[in-house]
Amino acid sequence: MIISRFGETGQQKLKAAHVVVAGIGGLGSPASSYLAAAGAGHLTIIDSQRVELSNLNRQVLHWEPDVGRSKVKSATEKLTAMNSNIKVDAIFEQITSENVDRLTKGVDVVVDGMDNYPTRYLLNEACARNRVPFIHGAVEGLVGQLMTILPGGGPCLKCAIPNEPPKKPCFPVLGATPGVIGCLQAMEAIKLITGVGEPLVGRMLIFNGMDMTFDEIKVNRDPSCQVCGRQDR
Amino acid sequence: MAVTVKFFAGFREATGKIQDSIEGVNNVTSLLDELVRRFGEKLAERLYSSDTRELRKTVNILVNGRRLDFLQKLNTPLKDEDVVAIFPPVAGG
Ligand SMILES: [Zn+2]
Repeated sequence: MIISRFGETGQQKLKAAHVVVAGIGGLGSPASSYLAAAGAGHLTIIDSQRVELSNLNRQVLHWEPDVGRSKVKSATEKLTAMNSNIKVDAIFEQITSENVDRLTKGVDVVVDGMDNYPTRYLLNEACARNRVPFIHGAVEGLVGQLMTILPGGGPCLKCAIPNEPPKKPCFPVLGATPGVIGCLQAMEAIKLITGVGEPLVGRMLIFNGMDMTFDEIKVNRDPSCQVCGRQDR
Repeated sequence: MAVTVKFFAGFREATGKIQDSIEGVNNVTSLLDELVRRFGEKLAERLYSSDTRELRKTVNILVNGRRLDFLQKLNTPLKDEDVVAIFPPVAGG
C-alpha cells in the first residue's frame, strides 16, 4: 500500500495481526474479504451455520454452489484464494459463555459479524475482560450502525445499547447495507492494527441508506457500567 | 429553555426531521409527550407499544450520550442545551 502513514511498517503490522471475525454472514463477508485483501496475516472466522439460499443476497463470500456447506468452510476457500499469504482458521462453533474467552484471548481485534445481541453482549464482555478491541456493527433494511470499542478507552456496547432490541424472526436486509458497514468495520480494524487515524470511539455511526446520510450519536462511558465501568483509563 | 432532539433512522421518517428544538420540557417524559403532540400518532406508534403504552424496547434514548437507565429513566431531568438522541438499534448481521 502506498497510502500515507501506512507504508511498509503498516503492512508488516497487518501481516503480524490476528483478527477474529465473529460471524461470517452479511457483515463478516465484506469485513473478512477486505481484511484478507489488505494482508491481515491471521484471520479466525467463527460461524456455526450452513449456507442457505436466502443468505446469498448479502453474504457475498457464499455462492450458489455453497448452499448446504458450512459458512466457515465456504469462506475459508474464498479468502485463501484471494490471498494465499494469509492464514485462515475456520471455527465451526456457536459462540457461548464457555468458549468466548478461548476464542478472543490474545487476539488483536474482534469484528462483530453477529446477527443477535446475546452473542454480541458475550463478545463485548469477553473483549473488555481480555482487553481486545471490539468493532461492533449491525444492520437492518437500509440502516446500519457501527462503533469501535476499546478496552479501557471509551464506552462499550452496553453503554450505547443497554437492552437487547426485541427478537424478530428475520431481518429484511438490503445486501448493500452490510456491504457498507462490513467495509467500515474492516477499515476500523486496519486502522487499529496499523495505528493510523482516529477510531470511532465514543460515537456510534448511524448509516441510513434511505436518505443516504451518515450521522454520529455521541456515547459516553458510564462509570457504573457493569462491563466497562470499572476499567482503568 | 430548549432541548435539542436528534432523530435517527425510522424516527426521522416518522417526524420528517433530522432534529428539533423543544422548549418548556423538564424531563424525558414531558419531552416525549411534547414530541407526540407535535408529530402525532405516527411517532407515538414508534415510541409506545400499542397494548401497554410503555416505551418500546426497540427505542433507545441517550441524554448527552448517556443511556437512560444509568440516569433516572423517563424521569431523567432535562435542562437547557441538553441533547437527546432517539434511535432504534438494529440487530441483523
Ligand atoms: Zn460499558
